[in-house]
Amino acid sequence: MCYITKYNLVVRFGNKDLAKYPFLKEAFSYITKYDFKLEDLDSKDYLHLIYKAAEKIENYLFFGRYEYQINYSKTHETIVQEEVIIFLISLLLIKSISIDAVTKKFALLESMRFEKYLISDLNTADRDDKTIKLILYKIFEDLFSTKILLEVDVYNFYKIRINDYLDHPIAFQEKEWNLINRTLHNGFVYLDGNEIVRLFRNELYLLIIDRIKKMSIDRIPDTIMAISKSIKSRWEQMHPSINAPVYNAVTPPCIQHIYDQISKGENLPHPARLLLGTFLIYSNKTLEEMLELFKRLPDFDEKITRYQLEHLAGKRGNSKRYFVPSCEKIKLENLCYETKICQGISNPTQLIRKKLDI
Amino acid sequence: MTDTLSFDSNNSGKNGKHASKYQNAEPDDKNKNWLEGIFRKYYFYHYTQLELGELINEHEFGFRLFDGKIRRHLAFNDKKELYAYIIKFSPSDIFYSSSRYQSPTAEIDQKGWIGSDLIFDIDGKDLHLECAQSHNLVLCKDCSFISKGIISKCVGCNSTRLQIIDIPCARCIKSLNVEVKKLVEILNDDFGIDSECIFVYFSGNNGYHVHVVDKNFYDASAKKRNAFAQYLMGKGYLIENLGIRRNNEGALIPMSNKILYNQGWRRRIFDSIHLSIQNHKIDDKFVKKYNRMQDANNNNIKDAINTHILDLSAKIDPNVTMDIHRIFRLAGSINSKSGLIKAFCKDLDSFNPFVDACFIGDSKVEIESKLNIKISLKGKQFSIKTGKNTLPEYVAAYMICKGIGDIQNQT
Repeated sequence: MCYITKYNLVVRFGNKDLAKYPFLKEAFSYITKYDFKLEDLDSKDYLHLIYKAAEKIENYLFFGRYEYQINYSKTHETIVQEEVIIFLISLLLIKSISIDAVTKKFALLESMRFEKYLISDLNTADRDDKTIKLILYKIFEDLFSTKILLEVDVYNFYKIRINDYLDHPIAFQEKEWNLINRTLHNGFVYLDGNEIVRLFRNELYLLIIDRIKKMSIDRIPDTIMAISKSIKSRWEQMHPSINAPVYNAVTPPCIQHIYDQISKGENLPHPARLLLGTFLIYSNKTLEEMLELFKRLPDFDEKITRYQLEHLAGKRGNSKRYFVPSCEKIKLENLCYETKICQGISNPTQLIRKKLDI
Repeated sequence: MTDTLSFDSNNSGKNGKHASKYQNAEPDDKNKNWLEGIFRKYYFYHYTQLELGELINEHEFGFRLFDGKIRRHLAFNDKKELYAYIIKFSPSDIFYSSSRYQSPTAEIDQKGWIGSDLIFDIDGKDLHLECAQSHNLVLCKDCSFISKGIISKCVGCNSTRLQIIDIPCARCIKSLNVEVKKLVEILNDDFGIDSECIFVYFSGNNGYHVHVVDKNFYDASAKKRNAFAQYLMGKGYLIENLGIRRNNEGALIPMSNKILYNQGWRRRIFDSIHLSIQNHKIDDKFVKKYNRMQDANNNNIKDAINTHILDLSAKIDPNVTMDIHRIFRLAGSINSKSGLIKAFCKDLDSFNPFVDACFIGDSKVEIESKLNIKISLKGKQFSIKTGKNTLPEYVAAYMICKGIGDIQNQT
């Protein structure tokens, strides 16, 4: 068994690596050492970077795409500086748009982009390439205050102290991430490569949101302000405020909670999507009506959502139609927000019938 | 209380009654008056049995007095101050916070929580043991009739207002020991907690308290402690963790070549169902054996596995573990439900609570028993008949605490 931590190996990133992880302190130092100030963004010299950040954000928000090309045709130093500045501009734009759903969608797709880099780095790295693993250690230790270790003797599993693992919100959010569904041994939670990357994405998502929320800026440069206004208005046109699409019925509180989450731009866990999908199918919504609602989710993918809704409706696979989960199941999934109107029901659909009976 | 205060100075008479000017029990409640004196005598002679760590001033204390009142949010500067309080008021039960606080006497939200040991409570009642059906008693709250065995209606008055009286037997204790061992094993293997950091106590009645003193978990929040409890109980375990997934037909099938670290619940379950996983990988041998098992279980392997999880799980009370502000019975103090003390078990296998936790004196007293019953304490068997019996104080205390006997006038 061998523990590798940043304490016994010095982390030396190549510049290229840092360009992919602009949120790291080391990357940030590339712009601070040249005395970069936010006011500098008013200069035309930075216009191409502002446009690049804007294009990235538009791709995220309006097309759900997180393909993004780092321009490697420059000196290493310039590549890192530009990526850090683009990252900063992106945060500024999102801050200035000031819509929760936009912030969350941006945070999710940006963290997915970084996740993609990390997976690629971990996969292409030689099994003994400690440098790339150290990037992972550094990210976790610097950003998430979690020390991760490597169990080299057992398929390179990563491990985190139990108490540290439970500091990550995901451990309480999704069933498969609850402590009971993790492999524990000798005081550590064991995670394979894919799991550690998912943990990274989730934490980075929260971190990006936190950074945007905590940004306090006296003055946003004019060009950035103008772009943010245009993105904001386009978003608002595409996303008018939602009304609970249940007709002639009492909206079950669990479903209402999901609508509220969608309005806030929250990403829904799988059981919540299943509940919403089955409920909408039960309410005789058309596929297009349902897609209209699901497209507000930050990670919306029309092809996948269409397939899944058709599957739930029994139009795919084994033709089995899925019914709305019972209140008991909903409670188990922590999706129940019971109120007085729920008295005596065992399935949220009974509220619709209740209303129709009146 | 100072070192110079003698037990006799608190004793109102020379007639063996340990009454005091600080008596809390109602004067006409003979049982409570007698017990209060007996408890005071125990604390006077055995105060060193009380297990108190360092930094006593950072813990909250609570007491139930013989008048039924509970006093909480108390703190003491040192052991002597505490001993003085205990001997003065002779509480029926003494509680102490596992948590340390900046201001232990403040209201809960103002206390300034510092940290707490992990505590696990295993209660005989939660094991639903078969033997308990035969030896437990039921007290009718309306007519006070006591019946043997578990009933749903009072034999005397048909009332359903009943209260179970635990009379644990050696088999109950043996079953509890099995549960403690399961818990300790998971704490050792999965949580990496050294056995030297795990302290097992007989609760004084029908259960065990397991205290974990480990700095890695000392500052864990209530939410984290709840996650520990759910883990130990095997609650919410997803069968997919065993490298099994549901196919389109809904059948559970193994995921060939899947790499799974064979530790924790996974190893425990695989060992229990005799399904071995070689080199942390689902190989052909595993798949073949799994398929055979599925056939043997009529394709209902999930239920079979859930039964194993239930057997393997630690039967703890999760509310106790997650409640960081709870006060626990102080080790070495008497449990008023039995007259036995909460006692440290150095070696669970050789520990006999009916001997090792019985510290009350053996002077003879007269007691009116409400039923015929056999009681084994301090290694002696007592066949008690309904009516008057002359018995050692420790048996009398046990019977009164259980509500099955009344003390007679002492001369």
